[in-house]
Amino acid sequence: MKRFRIVRAVLALALVWPSVGLGADTIKVGAAQPLTGRFAFAGVQLNQGLADSLARVNEKGGIQGRKIEYIFEDSGYQVDKAVAVFKKIMAEHAPPMFYGESTGLGKAIAPEINKTYKVLYGSTSFSSELADPAAYPYTFVSGPTYSDMMGVLLEYIAKNPKGDKPTVAFFYSDTEFGKDPIPYARKKAEELGVDVVAEVVTKVGAVDVTSQVLALVKAKPQYVIFQGFVLSPIPQVIRGTRDYGLDISFMGIFWSMSQMIIDKLGEDADGYMGVNPYAYYYEDDVPAIQEMRAYNAKHHPDVKHRPNSYIQGWFTGMVFAKCAEICVENGWDVTGDNLVKALESIKDWDVGGLMPPVTFVNHKIPSGRVYRADAKKGRFVPASDWITLK
Amino acid sequence: MRIGDFKETYAADEALWRTPTVRAWMGVFFAALAVFPLVAGDYLIYLADLVGIAVVSALGLNLLTGFTGQISLGHAAFMGVGAYTAAILATRWQVPFPLVLPAAGAVAAGFGVVVGAPSLRVKGLYLAMATLAAQVIAEFAFVNFEGLTGGIRGINVPAPVLFGVELGTDRAMYVPIVLVAVLGTWFAANLKRSAPGRMFVAVRDRDISAELMGIDLFRAKLQAFALGSFYAGVAGALWAYFMNVVTPEHWPLSLSIHYLAIIIVGGMGTVIGSIYGAVFMTLVPEALRAAMGLLRPVYPDAMALLSPVTEILFGALIVGFILFEPHGLAEMWQRTKRFFRLWPFVH
Repeated sequence: MKRFRIVRAVLALALVWPSVGLGADTIKVGAAQPLTGRFAFAGVQLNQGLADSLARVNEKGGIQGRKIEYIFEDSGYQVDKAVAVFKKIMAEHAPPMFYGESTGLGKAIAPEINKTYKVLYGSTSFSSELADPAAYPYTFVSGPTYSDMMGVLLEYIAKNPKGDKPTVAFFYSDTEFGKDPIPYARKKAEELGVDVVAEVVTKVGAVDVTSQVLALVKAKPQYVIFQGFVLSPIPQVIRGTRDYGLDISFMGIFWSMSQMIIDKLGEDADGYMGVNPYAYYYEDDVPAIQEMRAYNAKHHPDVKHRPNSYIQGWFTGMVFAKCAEICVENGWDVTGDNLVKALESIKDWDVGGLMPPVTFVNHKIPSGRVYRADAKKGRFVPASDWITLK
Repeated sequence: MRIGDFKETYAADEALWRTPTVRAWMGVFFAALAVFPLVAGDYLIYLADLVGIAVVSALGLNLLTGFTGQISLGHAAFMGVGAYTAAILATRWQVPFPLVLPAAGAVAAGFGVVVGAPSLRVKGLYLAMATLAAQVIAEFAFVNFEGLTGGIRGINVPAPVLFGVELGTDRAMYVPIVLVAVLGTWFAANLKRSAPGRMFVAVRDRDISAELMGIDLFRAKLQAFALGSFYAGVAGALWAYFMNVVTPEHWPLSLSIHYLAIIIVGGMGTVIGSIYGAVFMTLVPEALRAAMGLLRPVYPDAMALLSPVTEILFGALIVGFILFEPHGLAEMWQRTKRFFRLWPFVH
C-alpha cells in the first residue's frame, strides 16, 4: 500500500496544483526583490517583512474577506533584471500594487507605469527624487526620504548644540544613495543656523580612512552625519577620531542604524546616534511591534531579532493593505488610480506606534526619531520624540 | 546527408548563405523575427529587446577580443559613453533618433581609440589592466562630471521618434533594436570574410608574423578598438532609449565581465557565437527563475530560499562551458549540424 500512497499524493497534487493559487477575488501585490546581489543583506529581510505583513492581514480575515496574494521574484539588484521581473509579473498576474528593489528600477519603469501599467508603486528606496507626485504620480516612499531624515537630524542638532553654535560635518559616499540628500541638507542647515564645517566624500567600504579622519580632526565638528554607508567605513572613522581624543557625536541614517553597527563597534558604539523612521523590534511599549513579535513567535519561532529593513517591508505591507482597504470600503475598484487616491486620503492614520500618526505629504512621510546606541544594552534607545518636518 | 551541393566558383564558396537549405532556414528565421512582436507578450518582447542590445554589444567585443585578440575590461565603459552621448544629444539638442545612434557609436569609437592606444606597447593581461583603468575612469566621470552626465541621478531619456512615430514601448523599440542587430551581424559577418577581418585574425594569431606580412599593427589594433567600441556605443544608445534613463549604476565593471562571459560562452572569434552567447546569458537566468516560479503554488517560499542557488547554478554552467567546450556554443552547434549532415554515415 505504501507505493500507492505516493501515487495518490502525486495525483492529489496534480489535481490541486492549479487551484492552490488563490481565487479570482484576491488582491495581488507584486514585488521585484533584491534577494541576491549586493543589496541582498537587506533584500531578504525586506521581502520577509512585506510577506509577513500581508500574510498577517490574511490571517485576520483579509480585506473584508478578500485575501491578499503576494507574488515576488528575485531581481538581483540589477535594473535590467528587475524590469524583466516587473514585466513578467505584470504580464502573468497584473497586480494593482508593486514593490520594487531600487531607486533605479523606479526611474526606469516610471514612464510605463504612468502611461500603461498604472500601479501603486512602493519600493526599498528613500530617494527624494521618487517622492515627487508630479513626475511619479503612482510612486510613494514608505517613510521619510533621505533628505527628510537629514532634516530630522539637523533639527535635533540645532536644538542640542555642544557649544555656542551647532556645527556639523557631512560624511557621505559617492553613490546615488550617499549624495541624494546633500543639497537639501546644505540648505536646511543654513536655515536652522547649523554650521557645515566639512564635507567628506569617500567610497563605500573604504578601508583606509586616515585622510578623511584628519579632515574631521581639522574641522572639529560637534556632529558628523554619515550618509550612503551601511557599515564600512563608519567603525574605522569613529575609532580613528577617538584616537585623537575628539568629542564628536556620530550620526547615521536608516541603513547605518541597524544592529550590525552596534555589534561591530562593541563598546565604542556608546553615543553613536542616528535617525530611524520606525520603532525598533526590541521596543516593548509599541503595540505594532508587539503584534509583529507575536506573528514571528508563531510563524518563525527561531527568530530572535528583526532588523529595521524587515520593519520597512512590514510597514510597506501595511500601506498596501490600508490603501486596498480604503478602496474596498468605498466600493472603488482596486486599481492603481484608486489606490493612489486612497493613499492621498490617508490622514493621521494610527499605526500602533510604529511611526507617529501617518499622513502622506507628497507621497512620503516626513518624520523620524533620533536614537542613541546604548552599548551596555547592545541596542538603540530613543534620544528624542518623533520629529515631523513642516 | 546533404548531397548535390557543389561549389563552382570561389564566390559561391565564400557566400554568406552557401546552400539552399541555409537560405530557407534564414528565411524562416527572418519571418519569425518579423512575426514575433505581433504575437509575443510584453515580457517576451522585453527579453527579446534585451537580447538584441546584448547581441550588438557582444558583436563589438567579439570583434575586438575574439577576432583581434585584444582583451578589454572596459566594454561597459564604451557602452556607457555611447549611452550618455545618446542621452545628452537627445535631451539637450533634440537630435533625431536615427542620427543619435551613429553619433553615439562615433563618440564611443573615439573613446575606444584613446583607450586602445596603449595596445601597441602592451598586450594580454597588461592590456586588460589598461582597459580596466579606462573602465574606472569612465565610471568616475559618469558620477562626478555632473554638468554633463547629471551625476548620480543620471539623465532621463525621452522616447525616440522614428519617422514621426513615437517608439514609447518595448514593442515599438523592438523594431530599431532588431534592425540594428541584424545590420551589425551582417556587417561583422562580411568583415570576417574580407581583408580587414583576416587582418584582425592575423594580428590575434601572431602579431610579429602579421607585421612581417605588411600589416600595420598599431592601425589594425586601433581599428579593432574603434569598431568594437562603435558597436558598444550603439548598443549603449539603444539601451538609453530602451531603459528611459541612464545612470552611472548601469555601467559597472561586472557588466564588462558579463560581456566577456557572453563571448566565451558563445564562442570567441565567431560572429554567430556573439548571438548564441547573448541569448544564453540573457535567457538562462530568466529560465531558472521561471522554473522556480513553477514551484510557487506548492511552496511559496521557494523563490526566497532558492534564488541564491540559481546564481550558483548559472556560475557552474559558465565554468562547465569553459571546461568542456572552450569554443563555446557556436562550436557545439557546428558539431550538431555536422552530425546531421553526415548522418547516417558518421565516420
